Amino acid sequence: MKLYKVIIAICLVGMCFSCSDEFALPDPPFAVTSDAFFLSQGDFENSLIGAYDPLQATYANVILGEIASDNTHAGGESATDVIGWQQVDRMIHTEVNDNLDDIWDFNFAGVYRTSYIIENADNEVEFDSKAQIIAEAKFLRAYFNFELVKWFGGIPIKPEGKFELGEERSIPRSTVEEVYAYIENDLIQAIPDLAEQAPQVGRASKFAAQALLGKVYLYQDKFAESAQELQAVINSGQYHLYGTQEGEDFLNLFEFFVENGPESVFEIQYTGAQGAGFGCLQCSEGNVAVGFSGVRGYNGPVFESGFGFNLPTQEAVDAFSDNDLRKQLTILDIEAWVADFQDQGVPVTYNIGNQDPQTGHTGFYNRKYLPRENDNLPDVNLTHPNNYRAIRYADVLLMAAEALNRGGIDDALARDYLNQVRERAGLAPTDASGSVLLETIYLDRRLELMGEGHRFFDLVRTGRAASFIDGFQENKNEVFPIPLEEIQFAQGNWEQNTGY
Amino acid sequence: MNKWIYLLVFSITTSIAFSQNTVSGTVVDDASIPIPGVNISVKGTTQGTITDFDGNYTLEGLELDQVIVFSYVGFKTQEITYTGQTTLNVQLVESAEALDEIVVIGYGASSKRMITGAVSTVNAESIEDLEPLNAANALQGTTAGVNVLQGSGAPGAESNIRIRGISSNGNNAPLIILDGFQYDGGLNSINPQDIESITVLKDAQAAIYGSIGANGVILIETKKGSFNQSPTVNYNTYYGIQETSRTLPLLNATEYTLLLNESYANAGQALPFPNVNNIENDTDWQDEVFDTAAITSHNFSIQGGSEKTRYVMSASNLQQDGIVGQEKSSFDRTTVRLFVNSEVRDFLTVSANAIHTTNRSRGLNTFGLGSVLFNAANIAPIISPDRDNLDGTIDLGNEVVNPLTQINQTFNDFESNRLSGNFKADLEYAKDFVLTARYGFNFSNLNNREFFPEFDYGNGKVFSRPENQVNQNQQEFYDYTFDLFHTIDKTIADYHDIKFTAGMTVFRTHGEGLFASRTGVPNNSFGFADVGQATGTGDDQTNGSFVSELRRLSYFGRVEYAFKDKYLFSGMLRRDTSSLFGPNNQVGWFPSATAGWIISEEDFFNSDGIFNFIKLRGSYGGLGNDQIPANGFLSLLVGEAEYVLGQEQELVNGQALGPLANPDIKWETAVKTNVGLDLRLFDRALDVTIDYYNDERRDLLIGGIPTSGILGTSAPASSPPTKNAGTVTNSGIEVSFNYSKDVSKDFSFAVGFNFATINNEVTEIIDAEFLEGGQFGVGQPLPSRMEVGQPLGYFYGLKTDGIFQTQAEVDAHPSQLSLGAEAQPGDIRFVDVNGDGIINDEDRTNIGDPIPDVTMGFNLSLNYKNFEFNTYAFGNYGNEIVRNFERDQVNVNVMRRRLDRWTGPGTSNVEPRVTSGINTNKVFSDYFVEDGSFLRIQTISLGYNFPEKIYSKIGASSIKIYTKVDNAFTFTEYSGYDPTASTGAPIGGGIDFGFYPIPRIYTLGLNVKF
Repeated sequence: MKLYKVIIAICLVGMCFSCSDEFALPDPPFAVTSDAFFLSQGDFENSLIGAYDPLQATYANVILGEIASDNTHAGGESATDVIGWQQVDRMIHTEVNDNLDDIWDFNFAGVYRTSYIIENADNEVEFDSKAQIIAEAKFLRAYFNFELVKWFGGIPIKPEGKFELGEERSIPRSTVEEVYAYIENDLIQAIPDLAEQAPQVGRASKFAAQALLGKVYLYQDKFAESAQELQAVINSGQYHLYGTQEGEDFLNLFEFFVENGPESVFEIQYTGAQGAGFGCLQCSEGNVAVGFSGVRGYNGPVFESGFGFNLPTQEAVDAFSDNDLRKQLTILDIEAWVADFQDQGVPVTYNIGNQDPQTGHTGFYNRKYLPRENDNLPDVNLTHPNNYRAIRYADVLLMAAEALNRGGIDDALARDYLNQVRERAGLAPTDASGSVLLETIYLDRRLELMGEGHRFFDLVRTGRAASFIDGFQENKNEVFPIPLEEIQFAQGNWEQNTGY
Repeated sequence: MNKWIYLLVFSITTSIAFSQNTVSGTVVDDASIPIPGVNISVKGTTQGTITDFDGNYTLEGLELDQVIVFSYVGFKTQEITYTGQTTLNVQLVESAEALDEIVVIGYGASSKRMITGAVSTVNAESIEDLEPLNAANALQGTTAGVNVLQGSGAPGAESNIRIRGISSNGNNAPLIILDGFQYDGGLNSINPQDIESITVLKDAQAAIYGSIGANGVILIETKKGSFNQSPTVNYNTYYGIQETSRTLPLLNATEYTLLLNESYANAGQALPFPNVNNIENDTDWQDEVFDTAAITSHNFSIQGGSEKTRYVMSASNLQQDGIVGQEKSSFDRTTVRLFVNSEVRDFLTVSANAIHTTNRSRGLNTFGLGSVLFNAANIAPIISPDRDNLDGTIDLGNEVVNPLTQINQTFNDFESNRLSGNFKADLEYAKDFVLTARYGFNFSNLNNREFFPEFDYGNGKVFSRPENQVNQNQQEFYDYTFDLFHTIDKTIADYHDIKFTAGMTVFRTHGEGLFASRTGVPNNSFGFADVGQATGTGDDQTNGSFVSELRRLSYFGRVEYAFKDKYLFSGMLRRDTSSLFGPNNQVGWFPSATAGWIISEEDFFNSDGIFNFIKLRGSYGGLGNDQIPANGFLSLLVGEAEYVLGQEQELVNGQALGPLANPDIKWETAVKTNVGLDLRLFDRALDVTIDYYNDERRDLLIGGIPTSGILGTSAPASSPPTKNAGTVTNSGIEVSFNYSKDVSKDFSFAVGFNFATINNEVTEIIDAEFLEGGQFGVGQPLPSRMEVGQPLGYFYGLKTDGIFQTQAEVDAHPSQLSLGAEAQPGDIRFVDVNGDGIINDEDRTNIGDPIPDVTMGFNLSLNYKNFEFNTYAFGNYGNEIVRNFERDQVNVNVMRRRLDRWTGPGTSNVEPRVTSGINTNKVFSDYFVEDGSFLRIQTISLGYNFPEKIYSKIGASSIKIYTKVDNAFTFTEYSGYDPTASTGAPIGGGIDFGFYPIPRIYTLGLNVKF
């Protein structure tokens, strides 16, 4: 072969190997990586929206908390529809329960997103509202952690930041006391930096944090501390019971136009402006619990149809006295409703699903959170815009009354707070004191907050669950099991709750 | 005219050139028809020529005893020693099952004889016989170990091709290489009549494709035309009528009302139909929904070539309406192609190829819960077909709506345009040294428009829309591949054939898309469905976009060595870097080796005995499957962060972390072993190929592998990381027989049979006990699993043991309460698999799997005088299907099978009682799992070739008419629409949600050649 051919050959071979590996290492186009975040005020503001977002998934806590109590039946299409809820209603739930796993996952997602902000709190970016944003993140983290400790008892905690892959095998479950201390600490740090008036409707105010802290104390029987925080909210003068002032009708309290009203201390915001699907219920911007609570196949005025879960029991309905306005506010008696409209010549139809005596049809629906007629986007059952009144002023008054009474602090003031709530409901004031007063507070607390997801935890924290809830086993059902998957991920690091 | 000039020139040149040592003659085939383009060379020299249009040749300057070699594709090569003849006429013999057929193997080609990997081919002839709608159908049943199942019978639906079982929990689709370049457009966008051959690389031979070859490689070569061929014009057309191949046996109105009454009575509830005599309607919904639909195809092509240049031009159009929804599910494909190849100089050959395809489809909801057929199967027969709004009729739950209304209210338009092309140059810069440079590209754009009118299907129905909406999206993808490689092909000392290939390839693909949706379409009409025309304001008006980018840089090399044409070896190595690879695994090396021994070439072997040819071969190597999610190694702010803030309750957007990152992410590794035997027997009439294979797929990329919730992976649009966390093995044998014989001048036949066994097992999952997928019913646990020791995607549910006949039997059996209700006589009895005295979720076990144990194919062709008869069949054995098209709702219609329900002791041990009350009969169990084995007569066709006296009258060179039935008959026990129903999903496949059946098609076709 001639020399020039050899040279050509060498050059040509060289051409084949002239590209650099760098070619295959491009930057991802138009993507923000975690290394290049929290570099501006906008980043902090945007991440805060991300931290509020998981609040919407706490619909799961509300509806299942109610089903777990003696207030409602699970309902649904059949006795196996959403089996996890059915099992909790019967108090036969085990560590294998997708719906309990949802509550674990959704609330820890909130903890993760808030911690992501908090771990970047001390970076070099400075701007005026930074302290407020960090404080809101701490409030939200406390909110999620409080839900978790209520449901599962001691959980793993990492106050300094978000959990990293593998830490499920190294960070142990803290004790309930440690978790509460962590929650209190987040709230105590947040309160001074929060504004009395939230910067925007829907965000946390100082009083929201104080009300939550008062509640957290009450759950630990720290009555004096609890009363102090709750009274600060009451004495702020920023709230009043809806229906007690000119132009207000108590029976409208749960209608759309009273959302974020004078009774709202902290409210979780929902909208029907974006569609959603069953593939990711936590992604919905609507209140998923509402569609699930709707009357099956309902066709008539005022309401829209739904899946027929969370049905108030006859016993719960009978707990209201006939002149208690809250009965109307809380309960929809479907047969009476249909009959009323039929008298007016308006046909109303509906279907009955689950007919099991223990978990099925009762003829009653949770009127506070029924789907109202609205123009939400599909799947319409998942995107109802009803806001959840997470902390209501009536709740604050009742918690304060309970703390003052049980702490032996001031029965007169406790009675005053209670009577404000009773009078709004059209009931005569009570003059009871001591343990009789406490029983009245407990009963009014049940009736005032029925349908809002508090009852089960109130019964548990006051040691009364076993006497009210069928199938409730003491020293077991006070908390729910850690989901089996989580026990497995932790590879021996976390022990299951007693009895499961 | 031209011909005369040519002849004149020819005779002048021959007479001038006539001298000593010159030989000339004509080369003809078996039928004494001259063959143009035959290669004629003189052994040991560079001398050579080719025959002209009339098969004539002349060779000069010969010396005595030199050997003249006549070779032509598809014919046996002949060697004749020059003894001073002046005229040498040669008759070439067709090589019956051409072992010398050229087979493409990626960056090169080899002959069938010399190939050492497991390779199957389908040639243009088979495609001509089958006239498939889609190139994938040509592989169905014709190639052992290749399983082709259509995802849906809807027009334009892509097929799922699986080579040697299912190895990955992710993407199992093989790599498609069109004329040397990666092609992601789907086989549906290729005109089958443009295809010259389809080659399937099934084993480690595909390692030349490195990190993208693990699922096997399908190499498609388009038609290239021939040198020295006058222009041939082909016009092929057919017209077909399609109909459904099956309707489900459902209850009529009377049966429905009576059975529903019984069901309510059994639950102690009020009868829904107190008077069954005044039922107004008896609607056969399937009859309403199914229609016959037309299919039309035209294909026009011209090919030919001069001495140095050859070309192909073609254009085609296919129009197919749907048997459900007619034009609402139609598919339209138009293709245009141009190919030119030219020998510019002795040492330089260039070619260019361009294919343009336009696909248009309409996107009717044809699959899954809420599809048209799901609704047709579940809606009550007592409802009138014109009832658009189901309010006031019986409650069928929120999902079931009138399927006819659903068809009428469907308005979609999906269009894709694709231009694929390449330019290639082969430069022989020194003898036996060739440098190939080629550039290929695919450019595609997709325009999709969906319109959802404002419509009320009834209260609470999930399809009802209070407001209309239009969704539009436009996507563009552009990719290029640049290859540069050397091929050195040398024979040393007559014994050593060495072929060396080495080079590099660069691949880049870039995609961008814009999405917008808006409400307030004027007049609620599709005619105005455009975001520009719509007037909606507020939060429902959304837009979005995406950008994707993938780059790959690869180096590869291959050495092939043959000693005395008997002992064959090859080795391959590829090095890949890819933008998909994580920072901890940036470079992948993929080595493989093959070897073969042609025993029949040994001296001791008499190749004229029973065995004419025997080759033993083996291969072993590693390949990759690079289906790594883009940026899987990076933490990105792509989570969903949406909340409602402000007095006006506005939706606001923020930012949040997306999926958890995994910097250790790498490709899946396939380790493939193959041992094969190729035999040819009985006077070269019977070909037998036997292969044993074992594919181990390691480092499976498991997306969303369950991860602790404390890592925030349940947050909206977050997810667990993708990890390399599993191993699956597939092993089995493949056998194929092909026998062909020319019985007489008028009669010949060919018959083929092939089968493959698949033994699939998951052997490892790290960090999880099992993975779940699929869907059964609504709100039930996921039915499909991936678990160590089981087949991939097996069905996990309860085992049944007949029906409880008496209360005593119920009492004697472990309690079924945990499933949701106490059993009653007439209910399904579940087996206490774990023996703990209670029936619950813990008793779930393997109740079947969707992977067939055996796949097989059969084909037969007969030629008698001018008649051609062809039939193809294929089948699967040993796979199960989950019947999931029956909505779990009290009032929906049911299969006629339910008439044989239990009504008292001894009445049935199979079908449970009907009841509207609480029961556990709908819990996922083997009651819902059926044997999915089937044998399908896919094609029966009969053709007639008109005799010469007729076709020559119109100036044609052949005319053929044929009639054909596709999907003619299916033998199966399966009770659903179609046993080929499968999404092809590795975990969740084999679940029938109301599959759109593959239509039966009656076709009349015409092929004319000029």
